[in-house]
Amino acid sequence: MNNFRFTHFLTSNAHLDRDLTDQILSHCSRKEVRKGTFLLRSGEKIQHSFFVEKGLLKQYAVDKKGKEHILQFAPENWLMADRESEYFDQASSYFIESIEDSEIFYINKDLILQLAKADERFIAFNNFLLHRHIRSLQKRITQLQSAPAEERYLDFIQTYPDLTLRVPQTHIASYLGITPESLSRVRKELADRHRSHS
Amino acid sequence: MTSKRIELIAKPNPAHFVGDGFRVHNFIPSYPGLDMKRMDPFIMLDYNSKYAFPASSSPKGVGVHPHRGFETVTIAYKGKVEHHDSAGGGGVIGEGGVQWMTAASGVLHKEYHEREWSKTGGDFQMVQLWVNLPAQYKMSAPKYQALDHEKIAKVNLPEGAGIVEVIAGEFKGIQGSASTFSPLNMLNTKLEKDGQVEFTIPADHNTAMLVVEGSVRVNDTDIVPTDHLALFENKGENFTVFALQKAVVLILSGEPLNEPIAAHGPFVMNTRAELMEAFRDFNEGKFGYLED
Repeated sequence: MNNFRFTHFLTSNAHLDRDLTDQILSHCSRKEVRKGTFLLRSGEKIQHSFFVEKGLLKQYAVDKKGKEHILQFAPENWLMADRESEYFDQASSYFIESIEDSEIFYINKDLILQLAKADERFIAFNNFLLHRHIRSLQKRITQLQSAPAEERYLDFIQTYPDLTLRVPQTHIASYLGITPESLSRVRKELADRHRSHS
Repeated sequence: MTSKRIELIAKPNPAHFVGDGFRVHNFIPSYPGLDMKRMDPFIMLDYNSKYAFPASSSPKGVGVHPHRGFETVTIAYKGKVEHHDSAGGGGVIGEGGVQWMTAASGVLHKEYHEREWSKTGGDFQMVQLWVNLPAQYKMSAPKYQALDHEKIAKVNLPEGAGIVEVIAGEFKGIQGSASTFSPLNMLNTKLEKDGQVEFTIPADHNTAMLVVEGSVRVNDTDIVPTDHLALFENKGENFTVFALQKAVVLILSGEPLNEPIAAHGPFVMNTRAELMEAFRDFNEGKFGYLED
């Protein structure tokens, strides 16, 4: 039995048995990538989803002025995919880049499609992941439309408890859709509130 | 009393940068045989071996980061470090000085090359240690002990062999300058060529020696070169250090706390739940605020 987080992710979340997890793992490749490696560039097409065994990925779009907008981070135990390119065969609008030295499982699209036809346990698991992902995207859209910066930040630290120590403020601000100055203000106000209470 | 023998001699790991101002070799916990449990209560030792930093108009260093659950001890051999924290504290650690920061329940701080020193640059050499706190003190109030070189207790060795600076603990009846939360010794030892000194340290203390300058022979048997760290067995009490050249060695010893360790990044607690709480408190601003 191997000790990959990926194996644990598959067995504990989906209750997939050994045969199925072995089958999935044997069709995935594990790669070590250095910090700053592009796993996908805008304009490319991709055949894989990614599972982060170790390290950290970011997925982002770059606007016409060259500004980076971070859609998602993927630390350990997270999946990252660009559906537009992987499942709709279109050139991607996103970049996926490692922001730490990382170990990544590349999950081939054909494997997912094949399992999604053949294995009920996998179908249920895959549906669960998709629903969970869509739920978080829905929440994120509403937050970006209407939530104050502090609420977005508090949700961010719930989702990604250790990223405040792993990525620069500018990355967090980009993800939250606020300026780094606003993020500084939010953090300062939170600290001040705690100080006045203590 | 029996002699304390060397268990292993660690050569410096490849250097990496912490921020852009500290080029360090990590000994504890990454060197095989020098993990947190073996070295308890010393949970981290980064050694910036002598390295020439070029002049820089903006000081190099490490930006704002938190600590909880332990103490950081910075010993400046060459160069100067300036630091600031979220409690409004700050200062400069000059050559020969020591800063002993008890992070305990939590501080945010940042450390940079001192502004004026930065403008000329030069040789930079430091040790940074993390000393674990006993569980009962992990959430106590943070504090600083700024020990300038002049304030550190010193013992002159006979026959002009050299001098022992008692940063913490005790040597030949002289008490160290820093107060500690568990029994430990931190002895900065400067020896002339052919100078010799004998240390007596309890057998159960986890004990190590870092050679900062020159090279030494230990117990007439083992040679420990510059920038190497020797770990001693937990048997016997006495060992001698003989300077093959003019040498500076840092002796570290501590009684193990023997408590569970849950560590992630800059937080070192006893349980996973306490670690999660540390992240939550930091993220929610309970460590205060410090401008980058």
